[in-house]
Amino acid sequence: MGRTLPSITQAFLQEQQSLARFRRALRREDQLALDDLLADARQHLAEAAYASHLLPFEIMLLAMLVEEHKLVLRLRQQIEVLQVNLERMQRGESPSLKREP
Amino acid sequence: MSSFFGWLFDVYVSADSMTVWFIDEQGHAHALRDAFRPAFYVRGPRQDLHNVCTRLHHQRGVTLKRTERTDLFLGKPVEVLEVRTPPGSLMTIFRQTTRCFPDLTYYDGDISIPQRYVLAQGAFPLAYCEVEHHDGHIQHIQSLDSPWAIDYRIPPLRLMTLRLTGEMRDPARGHRGDLLVSIDKHQFCFPRARSRELVRGVQHLLHRYDPDVIISTYGDNYILPRLIDLGRHFGIPLTLNRDSRRTVQRKRASSYFSYGKVVFRNEQHLLFGRWHLDRQNAFLANDYGLDGILEIARLTGLPAQTTARVSTGTGISAMQVATALRRGVLVPWQKRHPEDLKSGIDLINADKGGMVYNPIPGLHEHVAGLDFSSMYPSIMVHFNISPETVVTRGEQGEPVPELGTRVLRDRVGLVPETLAPLLEKRFRYKALIRKLPPEDPRVERYRRRHSAHKWLLVTCFGYLGYKNARFGRIEAHEAVTAYGREVLLQAKELLEARGFRVLHMYVDGLWIHKPGAVQTPDYDALLDEIRTHTGLEIGLEGVYRWVAFLPSRTEPRVAAANRYFGAFEDGTVKVRGIEARRRDTPAYIKQTQLDMLDILAEGHDITGFRAALPRAINYARQRLVALRRGDVPLNELVVTHRLSRKPDEFTVRTNAARVAAALTREGVTLSPGEKLRFILVPGPEKARPWELIDTKTPYDREAYSELLLRAVESLLMPVNVDRATIDTWLLGNSGYWGPPGVLPPPGVDIRAPLLASCGPALWIRRRTAVEERTLYPQPLGAPLLSAA
Repeated sequence: MGRTLPSITQAFLQEQQSLARFRRALRREDQLALDDLLADARQHLAEAAYASHLLPFEIMLLAMLVEEHKLVLRLRQQIEVLQVNLERMQRGESPSLKREP
Repeated sequence: MSSFFGWLFDVYVSADSMTVWFIDEQGHAHALRDAFRPAFYVRGPRQDLHNVCTRLHHQRGVTLKRTERTDLFLGKPVEVLEVRTPPGSLMTIFRQTTRCFPDLTYYDGDISIPQRYVLAQGAFPLAYCEVEHHDGHIQHIQSLDSPWAIDYRIPPLRLMTLRLTGEMRDPARGHRGDLLVSIDKHQFCFPRARSRELVRGVQHLLHRYDPDVIISTYGDNYILPRLIDLGRHFGIPLTLNRDSRRTVQRKRASSYFSYGKVVFRNEQHLLFGRWHLDRQNAFLANDYGLDGILEIARLTGLPAQTTARVSTGTGISAMQVATALRRGVLVPWQKRHPEDLKSGIDLINADKGGMVYNPIPGLHEHVAGLDFSSMYPSIMVHFNISPETVVTRGEQGEPVPELGTRVLRDRVGLVPETLAPLLEKRFRYKALIRKLPPEDPRVERYRRRHSAHKWLLVTCFGYLGYKNARFGRIEAHEAVTAYGREVLLQAKELLEARGFRVLHMYVDGLWIHKPGAVQTPDYDALLDEIRTHTGLEIGLEGVYRWVAFLPSRTEPRVAAANRYFGAFEDGTVKVRGIEARRRDTPAYIKQTQLDMLDILAEGHDITGFRAALPRAINYARQRLVALRRGDVPLNELVVTHRLSRKPDEFTVRTNAARVAAALTREGVTLSPGEKLRFILVPGPEKARPWELIDTKTPYDREAYSELLLRAVESLLMPVNVDRATIDTWLLGNSGYWGPPGVLPPPGVDIRAPLLASCGPALWIRRRTAVEERTLYPQPLGAPLLSAA
């Protein structure tokens, strides 16, 4: 259908395309990490469309950060549980899966 | 002068008057004539109008008058020239005038004359009325009925059905059979080899039973034209029409583009004083049946033969025209209302559709599906959005969220006025369907009318944005989507404030979860709160025992917005976007997938889903074995495909191209948008048209197995069972090796993530094992791990 402006998905694909040379130059493992980041951005296209930002790439960067931060929070939570359990085990108690307040 | 009570059945123009058919209480048909003089209006400089007068004043039956009328878009009375003509010559005179004076503004010129006639009488098709007549002429029609009536009587129609013997295949593509005619519980079969007797027989039945409606299968493109030809050939007058002065009206086939898709409309054969409805050429009629067709005719004022065939967009447009005519507002013929100028920033803000989120992928339990009922039409009514109420300049009116435009609230818009009673009727049917016991015979009737309303309402939004539509205006369209986004976000904020987690949002629907909220009554207070807050009607579609959002086919790391399946509290299943919903999937594959879903739906939560998995897999295995043995009847394996281009325009030899080529060789002419039906066959031929298949044709077992395995894969993806595992289970001879937790027999490749723990959905998305493998085909190197 005729559109005056590219849809947010089209904008996303354009941005992805513009990174093609950067991606090509990256080492394989870095390429895979980049793909993960782009997939994170893609998860939030609806929100980016609503934002109507002039530079959609900035929003995409934020979306990547949001997903990364969620991961950090999650890992931090897991580490806390592990830490508590480690201390319990050092005290000779049985480990618990629950996160203690 | 005499009178009778009956239903308005058919209206059409005959030369200088209208012919109107009624069916009375006893089922007898009456044809009466009535004088009617429709008008069109012209606006422009006085000198030009004077020239129009000079040209038209000596034409037979034309009367001219200078008058004042209100223009819908200007919103004030303007001076216009009224040209009143006999009904039969209006279109010709109108066309001539517009050609001679192309710069003038014309109104009301192209509105269907039967529609204007019934409107002028205060009636509508199938209205129950009292008719006074004298000497074959109508004196007065008194409508005793309302299109908004919930429970109305329909006339005692006598139906005749016409079809060919054998499978339901398109006879225009080579299928041949004898003619089966049924009427009044009698069935007659006329062998095609004896065509003279066939025509005589049909004529005899038409004469003896005088049916009101002929319902055919492939009547439009084959049976009727063939009967007419045969009648002409043998010199037997065939009275398909009740009105013997008319010949059957034929409309040619056409292909057109609609929403990025080629649509094919087959040729049509329309009757006078009798209806011809073709099951195969009916727009969406399977969904709502004759009840829906009658309901749409009553609401829109279009004849039933038309409503059965046209897209419902025409219907909603006709309803808006009716509102304008009732208001006495002039309807512009060719709208001269270009899009207002916008800055780039305005455009970025405005040019957006509904909110389509990416759901959180995976399997979730106890999820509630909420949706705003008829969201866009409700927004138009609630916020008074209509082409003439949305303004881009000035300080008047309510500002639209996100946009710079405003909506006037001091007068009711034409579109809201048209839609409000329709929405109300729809909500009343919905409430009745819920209230009545399911075995009540009214439920099915109401359900079909309800479904007909749905199709009328979905098109009203598109028509608001279509610049060529009579009442279309892009700013109004943008205002609707802007309010839609606003309302959805308001609902989201409210839900999150109440402790719900929003899993998915899709234009007018939300999928939410809160631990502990597992049953319908848990949501009543919440829905009321959203209703008061947003002003729109929201309903609980149901609470899912479990629902799975699937990854997109192109990007497996992101979930697709409209690929999901789930089971409600009562065990009913809802699917979107997977094979069972796709039109091209063969019936056998569809049934397998739906039956597997029914088995899985017995699980009350994620644990239950996993527990039901072994049975579902065993069932799939039986179906696969039958398929690979060659036991499946061919009619369950028909693949349907819509032809996207002309047969000679194919560059890649796809199955569709092969089938189209095979049909072309058989002398069939195909147009873009037509449906192709075929069977996949082994060998280089690959696909053969269904119309050219005989019973002994073997099917391509490998190709169909692949389709079935893919359908199974979609269902098992949310519990991380990958294709390799499915192949082991279904194609290998090990079978599924028992309930989750039991180790597989030795020697079986255990790629069974099914056994891995998969608790309730985590609030942070973890990559699934399947995704992991697609992402990292080779083992991860140390650098990435240390870098992370």
